[in-house]
Amino acid sequence: MAAAESETDKFIKQVSGRNTRGLLRVIILCLIAGAAVASRLFSVIRFESIIHEFDPWFNFRATKYLVQNGFYSFWDWFDDRTWHPLGRVTGGTLYPGLMVTSGAIYHLLRFLTLPVDIRNICVLLAPGFSGLTALATYLLTSEMVTSPSAGLLAAAFMGITPGYISRSVAGSYDNEAIAIFLLVFTFFLWIKAVKNGSMFWGALTALFYGYMVSAWGGYVFITNLLPLHAFVLICMGRYSPRLYVSYTSWYALGTLASMQIPFVGFLPIRSSEHMSALGVFGLLQLVGGVEWIRTQIPSKQFQTLLRALVLFIFVVALGGLVLLTVSGVIAPWTGRFYSLWDTGYAKIHIPIIASVSEHQPTAWPAFFFDLSMMIWLFPAGVYMCFRKLTDEQVFIVIYAVLASYFAGVMVRLMLTLTPIVCVASAMAFSQILDTYLNAKTPKAEPAKENGDSKDAAKVAAAAVLPEGLRSTRQPLIGVYSYASKLTVMGASVVYLLLFVLHCTWVTSNAYSSPSVVLASRLPDGSQHIIDDYREAYYWLRQNTPDNAKIMSWWDYGYQIGGMADRPTLVDNNTWNNTHIATVGKAMSSREEVSYPIMRQHEVDYVLVVFGGLLGYSGDDINKFLWMVRIAEGIWPEEVKERNFFTPRGEYRVDEEATPTMKNSLMYKMSYYNYHSLFPAGQATDRVRNARLPAQGPELSTIEEAFTSENWIIRIYKVKEPDNFGRDHQSATSFDKGHKKKKAPKRKGPRVLRVE
Amino acid sequence: MRSLPLFSSCLAALSGFACAELNLSQPLLSRQVLPSTFTPPRVFKNVNLVRNTNLDKAYPRETINVIIENIDSKSQSEYYLPFETSLLSRVGGLEVKDKKDADKGAFKVEVVGLDAQSSTEFYLIHLPTPLAPKQQQTLSISYSVLSALAPVPAKIAQSEKQYIQYTFSAYTPSAYVTEKQKTKLKFPSSDVPDYTTLPADLNAEKKADPQKQGSTFTYGPYSHVPAGAEQAVSVRYEFTKPLTHATLLERDIEVSHWGGNLATEERYWLTNQGAELKNHFSRVEWQKTQYLNPPSSALKGLNLPLHPGSMDPYFTDDIGNVSTSRFRPGKKENLLELKPRYPVFGGWKYSFRVGWNADLSTYLRKLSTGDTYVLKVPFLEGPRLAEGIQYSKVHLRVILPEGATNVKYSTTVPLVDGKTTVHHTFMDTLGRSALELHAINIMDEFRERDLIVTYDYSWTAGYRKPIVITLGMFAVFAAIWVLGSIDTSIGKSKKA
Repeated sequence: MAAAESETDKFIKQVSGRNTRGLLRVIILCLIAGAAVASRLFSVIRFESIIHEFDPWFNFRATKYLVQNGFYSFWDWFDDRTWHPLGRVTGGTLYPGLMVTSGAIYHLLRFLTLPVDIRNICVLLAPGFSGLTALATYLLTSEMVTSPSAGLLAAAFMGITPGYISRSVAGSYDNEAIAIFLLVFTFFLWIKAVKNGSMFWGALTALFYGYMVSAWGGYVFITNLLPLHAFVLICMGRYSPRLYVSYTSWYALGTLASMQIPFVGFLPIRSSEHMSALGVFGLLQLVGGVEWIRTQIPSKQFQTLLRALVLFIFVVALGGLVLLTVSGVIAPWTGRFYSLWDTGYAKIHIPIIASVSEHQPTAWPAFFFDLSMMIWLFPAGVYMCFRKLTDEQVFIVIYAVLASYFAGVMVRLMLTLTPIVCVASAMAFSQILDTYLNAKTPKAEPAKENGDSKDAAKVAAAAVLPEGLRSTRQPLIGVYSYASKLTVMGASVVYLLLFVLHCTWVTSNAYSSPSVVLASRLPDGSQHIIDDYREAYYWLRQNTPDNAKIMSWWDYGYQIGGMADRPTLVDNNTWNNTHIATVGKAMSSREEVSYPIMRQHEVDYVLVVFGGLLGYSGDDINKFLWMVRIAEGIWPEEVKERNFFTPRGEYRVDEEATPTMKNSLMYKMSYYNYHSLFPAGQATDRVRNARLPAQGPELSTIEEAFTSENWIIRIYKVKEPDNFGRDHQSATSFDKGHKKKKAPKRKGPRVLRVE
Repeated sequence: MRSLPLFSSCLAALSGFACAELNLSQPLLSRQVLPSTFTPPRVFKNVNLVRNTNLDKAYPRETINVIIENIDSKSQSEYYLPFETSLLSRVGGLEVKDKKDADKGAFKVEVVGLDAQSSTEFYLIHLPTPLAPKQQQTLSISYSVLSALAPVPAKIAQSEKQYIQYTFSAYTPSAYVTEKQKTKLKFPSSDVPDYTTLPADLNAEKKADPQKQGSTFTYGPYSHVPAGAEQAVSVRYEFTKPLTHATLLERDIEVSHWGGNLATEERYWLTNQGAELKNHFSRVEWQKTQYLNPPSSALKGLNLPLHPGSMDPYFTDDIGNVSTSRFRPGKKENLLELKPRYPVFGGWKYSFRVGWNADLSTYLRKLSTGDTYVLKVPFLEGPRLAEGIQYSKVHLRVILPEGATNVKYSTTVPLVDGKTTVHHTFMDTLGRSALELHAINIMDEFRERDLIVTYDYSWTAGYRKPIVITLGMFAVFAAIWVLGSIDTSIGKSKKA
């Protein structure tokens, strides 16, 4: 920070007031960091200090495990409480950076005897790191342009832009919380390394790259962007020893660092995603060698020969790579990777990826929603980079192009686009500000400074125009006039204010809901908390055996593990598609089919989410088609999506629902006993606006164990096998007093007995 | 009495001039172990004994009024009260007073254990003045029995009435001959469908046994019951209220002189010992009946009456804030109304924590002599329920400010253990003295009992922390300055 400060200070020409400016800059940066943290605290103030959504609950649970059991047992953690009965090698299948970071903070605070709860550390980690991200953005932008204001603007943009806040509000304890800071900071270090050709900065890049690898799967973006930058520079004929030193030190150290993470392991040398880095590394050696030979033998012909040789080797290497991939030595690209190029790929081949809403292609309003005015400043900034096109500005261009594409393909990749948008638009905006604010009204200077051009213009103008034109008489025109300054500045200030307003509004309304807790308003305006999730999870935690297995759709797996502390069948770490399909099949089949599946998996309780009473649309009936689709992928003979639609192609839950739908376990569990809450025949589903059949579904193999206050969570207990060896259907009908269904005996007409 | 000398020697080491005979409450857990062949010497007889069993609450409360007479030739001061081993561990709050002179305070009582084979153990009551031969004295022995009530039937439907059963001996267990005795039972209602009927010829007045009078039953009178005689009887009565049982209560009281604040945090592990649900919980039925608010065996809410002036209450559990609570400040008390996340039916559990702050000045007083402070806090606060709450274990911790020495305490609540430990928190260097008190088998009747803690705290101790933090910050800045001024570059830095 201090070093960077002195570096950037070089740009400030005025020696007088340098210290004052430096101090001012530090204060501004601190305020920006403070604003970045503060704007992420909506959810804590409105609700409470709570972990949000789904994935963060796993990270939180893993962090607690780390803090309680120490680093080594965390590293070797085999979790038998998830993916029952398979289990999960959790220590080897996660990115430990996030947990280790909070664990380190926790132990530091413990060392200072500050009793801060690990939950509060986890909740506030993302806002804290967003403050650091703002600083990193300042550093990165300051490397790009000479204007001192661009960095500050970029930091401010980064601090409050919704595109980044969406993943870093307090409680959003996810890998992205620290990964974006690491991403931006690694890029800053890389630019620094390329500029200086310094091994020190290259090694630092590798260090933070290693940290990034330990924190987020998105590290692949860096792994490909840096080689691409290097490759483009080579192609532009800008090879230099600086590039060689920085790239090789980054690649060698960074790859070693990344291989220390068990989840990554040998991927950097075996998977296709990492091959470009290796290829460019090899290319750099060749180019470096050639350059060296060229200095030895100054022959033009030889040089062209060598260039051909380079090309030849490159082609051979690429061919070898393809060959190795085909033969299976190098892992081919994963499905998630293919879906980056073909947005329809996932929907056809891997429904489980497509079922996640954040993997959908981005809708265009999302760009305006998340980036506001920056979306039109961004191209201007990129254009400005084209004008000069120094090494680091080439980086901006490449980053901008790639990230724009990815952000269009997948909603969640908006996150990687946001930093570059902030940097580029800050460059554009600061250009406006510098032009209009700094331009001193030229009194005597214009004659001196712009003497030649002005004169030339005057001569040219005099040649065409008659004397005495106002514009030629008056030098105080255009940029220099107060009117234009005031207009542009006024407009800029208005834009900035609107930007702040928009960011605050979006943060407060769209991104600050924990989604575990729902809020509604009572008639008197006071806030009413709908806390059904935690009610049911806490019931499970307190009143079921410690190893009762809970079956639910995978969305709720992490939450059940974190809040109810019970083993689950499937969770949000969707590593085993078959297992998920099994659960999907159990949910979408008839009871007679589901019951053996549940018994085989030792399921004790089944949990479903039902929003019909409250009008909560994110419930399981609305997700049901994904369950059907995923199950159909494995058992196309037994589960058919078509059967869940009416002949007219409608997805209905009311009287006209298909028999398959009505007999599916999910339907029965959602609507069991629901009709008795209403007067006869009046039962309505408020999500799907459907009048339900007067006769509710009957359950025989499972029984209702708990339903939360607003019916959002319903928990069913799987019955033990019948004591008499009957099937559950006949046992239930026996209990109800129905006679065993026999072929009805036809009796003759009643005859009056006369004896 | 192992822990007491140890404790007082700790105190002596801390203070230097502690007086061991200061009003320290004595732990109950003395347990001198006797051989299993031990029988108490037959030096007393019970002239008349009346036992009142009150079944109004979720635990039976027994009061035995007995006139004892010394039949030995020497003065005697040790009266033994026998309990079954399994029962003894559940007897709580046993207190003995002189019926005629109750103001004198409770007598000294200790548990006398026999070795493992014995099925009977004793409470040993020390009479303050030895009873001369042929003299009589009236004792009033009161205690409660925890987890003594069993729901019969053990499983009921969700909105059914709950019946519970209490089994006891019609003859009050005694180590001495009892000339005349009877037992009165007070039920919460007159709905008592089942009770043991004893043959009339056992009865001294040859009347039907028991005698019924509304919701009061009387077993006895019986005459000349030998020592150790028992006659098991059981009664079954309606009690459609939760049997709330706290398996553990942890209570922390933190004193802050700087903040002028007394912070209290209580952690409860509750379970309802009532009848379990026959079928599973039905939300439909629950929602339908809640408008009428009928009596239920489920625990629906808890009211914590806090002292006036209590503020900033919170109610959380393992997974965060519980939004269903209300705080109603008032003149007499600040009522904290808690609602568990779900109704706690029989066999279900619910654990949570509540905490609040209060102004220290209403609890703490500085003695005019020197730096001694006196802290007076309730030993137990906790919820107030008509049917009562029983606590198996109570761990109370009073965390005093850093630098408090010479800690002494006094309370009338029977304790099993008490010690002073060191607690590190909030940038402590030496750590704070924390007084840890353990009690078992406590009922909510002990809410009004106070705990009085005295300690020395000099004004210099209060300034230790600001000085330490200031020095620490200076050290950090100095270290940063030193590190920052080191030139780490390898070659000569090229300053253009």
